[in-house]
Amino acid sequence: MENVVEINKDVNIVAYYFRQGVKKLRCFPKKMEYDGKSVVFTEQGLRHPTRQGQRMIHVFDMTDGNADYRLEFDAEQLTWKLVYIADKVFGPMDEQYTAANLTTAAT
Amino acid sequence: MPHPKLELPINKAEPLTMHIDLNSCFATVEQQARPLLRGKPLAITNRLTKNACVVAASYEAKVFGVKVGMTFSDAKVLAPNLIMLETDPPKYHWVYQLLVNIMQSYSPNVIMKSIDEGIINFNPSGTGFSRPASGGSSTGLTPWNSQSENSTGVKAQSLIDIGYEIKRRLRDEVGCWMRCNIGIAPNRFLAKTAASLHKPDGLDIIDHRNLHKTLSSLKLIDLTGIAERNEARLNACGIYTPLQFLDAPADVLRRHVFKSVCGEDWYQRLRGYEVDDFESSVKTVGRQYVLDDMQPSEETLRSRLAYLCETTAMKLRYKGLCARGIMIYLLYASGDSWYERRMFKSTFFSNAEVHRRATLLFNRRPRNGFVRMIAVSCYGLEPSNISQVSLLDEVNKEIWLTQAIDEINSQFGEFTVTYASSLNAKDVVKQKIPFGSTRYFELLLNRA
Repeated sequence: MENVVEINKDVNIVAYYFRQGVKKLRCFPKKMEYDGKSVVFTEQGLRHPTRQGQRMIHVFDMTDGNADYRLEFDAEQLTWKLVYIADKVFGPMDEQYTAANLTTAAT
Repeated sequence: MPHPKLELPINKAEPLTMHIDLNSCFATVEQQARPLLRGKPLAITNRLTKNACVVAASYEAKVFGVKVGMTFSDAKVLAPNLIMLETDPPKYHWVYQLLVNIMQSYSPNVIMKSIDEGIINFNPSGTGFSRPASGGSSTGLTPWNSQSENSTGVKAQSLIDIGYEIKRRLRDEVGCWMRCNIGIAPNRFLAKTAASLHKPDGLDIIDHRNLHKTLSSLKLIDLTGIAERNEARLNACGIYTPLQFLDAPADVLRRHVFKSVCGEDWYQRLRGYEVDDFESSVKTVGRQYVLDDMQPSEETLRSRLAYLCETTAMKLRYKGLCARGIMIYLLYASGDSWYERRMFKSTFFSNAEVHRRATLLFNRRPRNGFVRMIAVSCYGLEPSNISQVSLLDEVNKEIWLTQAIDEINSQFGEFTVTYASSLNAKDVVKQKIPFGSTRYFELLLNRA
């Protein structure tokens, strides 16, 4: 099993928003303040929408290179929630699996 | 009257069927979502218990011999560093939607076979393909109605370009860790076979030119639909390799090997003719659940039964159906099983009616040990007449109550209004991933 710490608390997020041509506005949470510390995210794993009744929730799986973080953005209330932190036991991400290297290898 | 003899040459039509398969889909999506899990042996299960079976394993785990269907404890013996995660259906559904969008940007003739694989049919006798609406085609593809196309529509070379473009778009639109296998062939079976040749990121074509060469490199059980029993049937008739299978006459396959029309289907399938393009209708709607408690009390059993009835009725209404028959199946800890089914004169669709009729049968069960699994299934399905106002007032009240509850649950989330008896089951019984089809995917997602 892996080491997952459930948090489920509102957090402050600094987010960047991007627009590429006609594509929809894309959001990238860059920095999070939680428990007196700030976490700078280095990569977004996956963003997917989900519903709670009629409310649209955007789920962001982020990493800072040392742990994975799941964030939820409530599109109605415009609030960010930190759902869990996983998993510090694996240590820093291997350099070969970072997005930059994978993109280079793919092209 | 003797059956007419079937003799067909290898189909020399251009390969225009493309099979796209996200192998190890759930594990790959989890690794995409969680960068720290990339490159590590990972297995996905429906429950985090030692006896839960692996529903998807990453390629890193497969290296250690971890296979789908294995229990977690067995998998852990093979790969001590194995990481086990529980399924997260909304995530997979999102990737499924993105994959469907990508596929549909090339042709409206897209058939999803399951959550992680689908087929694009480029055959111009069906429908043509168009260029991607956005994101752009970088390959300069020839549209099927262009003057430069050949008589069959899209050129085979163009399909290779499309295949590589789909791979690229999957990485761009979902994430850099996503990979897929693509197979191109004249029919669905050979396209799926082609997609399994070079995992995890292959693109292969099978046509009349390389059919023999490709089949010579495979074993019988590498063919989709040939497992141990069919292999034994073929072996009993002296067929040991796919090439011998291909060369076998249709008559031998029909009369001696499969002893049914399936033999002729295989004869055509292997030669590149399409026999799998049929749609099956829904015959039963149901749910089953392996109990979370090894020694469940009467109260627990009834709670789980109420939950299963509720979700079965939801599925019925989601498909716009009502049922006349219901079946209960129980599996006991001793390995014994019991089932009873009954056909009613009137149709039913509401949670309360499914529960009432299931309880009628459930009360007749033999009390000979602890129950391990409960299954509820409705059959005798027909289109729902829920929109028809009845002459009977109690029927109308039942319809209006059901519609009101469905509306509340749709607005505020599933199980906002539910049975008191199934309240604790809601937290225990987790939704599962429908592997066989995606018929109920939207419904399952609403419950996530």
